[in-house]
Amino acid sequence: MRPAPATPAGTDLAGQITLVARGDAAAFDVIFEQIGPSVFGVVKRVIRDPAQSEEVTQEVLLEVWRTASKFDAGRGSATAWVMTLAHRRAVDRVRSVQKEADRERRIASAEIPYDEVIEAVESSLERERVRRCLSSLTDVQRESVTLAYYRGYTYGQVASLLGVPTGTVKTRMRDALIRLRDCLGVAE
Amino acid sequence: MKLTKQSQNRDAHTLAGAYAMDAIPAPDRERFERHLAGCEECAREITSLREATAMLGTAAAEPLPAGLKERVMAAAAMTRQQPPAQETEPVRQARGARAGTWFGSLAWPGRLALAAGGAAAAAVLAVAVVFGVANGSMQQQLDQAQASSHQIAVVLTAQDAAMTTGPVAGGGTATIVMSPSRHALVFTAQGLHALPASRGYELWLIGPDGTRSIGMLPAGSHGMTGPVIASGLRQGDHLALTAEPADGSARPDTPMMLDMVL
Repeated sequence: MRPAPATPAGTDLAGQITLVARGDAAAFDVIFEQIGPSVFGVVKRVIRDPAQSEEVTQEVLLEVWRTASKFDAGRGSATAWVMTLAHRRAVDRVRSVQKEADRERRIASAEIPYDEVIEAVESSLERERVRRCLSSLTDVQRESVTLAYYRGYTYGQVASLLGVPTGTVKTRMRDALIRLRDCLGVAE
Repeated sequence: MKLTKQSQNRDAHTLAGAYAMDAIPAPDRERFERHLAGCEECAREITSLREATAMLGTAAAEPLPAGLKERVMAAAAMTRQQPPAQETEPVRQARGARAGTWFGSLAWPGRLALAAGGAAAAAVLAVAVVFGVANGSMQQQLDQAQASSHQIAVVLTAQDAAMTTGPVAGGGTATIVMSPSRHALVFTAQGLHALPASRGYELWLIGPDGTRSIGMLPAGSHGMTGPVIASGLRQGDHLALTAEPADGSARPDTPMMLDMVL
């Protein structure tokens, strides 16, 4: 027997996306309320410029509307699907817009953004968990994750910024995400 | 040195973390995706790691800027949704009525759609997107349509997108939506005088550096043509429309039927 879903379709995010695929504007509204701020937040972390972040956020949410039928609940949560779309769009935007040389120069003076997450936290249970789990990583693991995810740097750029070999950064990134995943309890 | 399959796999494996965070340059991304396609275990790992990165993302949530939701909701109302993958039919059957479902991204910023007269033009453009390319019917054209429909959506959702309409000599109305920040515009026309099969409408950008062809307008249906995207706009460019031989001309040879200063 299949386990029953935690919430009936239509009340959880995955259910809402299924409804959106059928053109349900009310469900799209619910998605906006639930995940819009997260999309904007992550896009702005990576892009920084508020006007561009707003544009990319619009593109991402419109993409959710347009491609809702492509969401496959068997391949991860609805949140992960939307956030993956959002992060990739943001990263693609900064990489296409910024000249590499320009970017390299900025990397040299970039600060490690770990504290951004920490300082910005409001008392939300989820943020508290993320903060706690990030703190459980080694320094190189944490810095690799925050520079890559919140700043949109490639592993090569992260390696030059941290002054460690690229092979090390690749390994640390994977180890870090596995630890985060286990700590956050989001493993399948 | 030749890499063994095993060492290639190991190398690809270590990229999983970087890939899940999009911290991977394009060539590596493609290589890793090829690897993923044949590695069920890796795909599962990526899926689970992305649950973790999604949590990093939600921890960064910020209130949405005012008006953003309204703009996207308005754009969504004008945007055709993709059908589920399993309903994708062979191209041959996708011709005609179904062809329209292969693409169809059209976004329209709410503030434009709500501007005086804007709603009607937006509807015209929406219909043009659905029907304009459906006539083409070849796979390649559909693929191109899908790619250009994204570019079109980008122009239409740009913060500074602005719409202009103007009459075409000989009949019809041209509508352009231009985004100066994107250096691009989307052109569509309705009610153009029908041309014999040997001739077609060609769109041009005429500027200080010379004249370049944007291309032939796709054969219209329902009296509508386009949308066509013109990018790389420069200060002082004019947008011009002429009737030329069906396979196009190198330079505009006939009188301008439209000449808009951008």
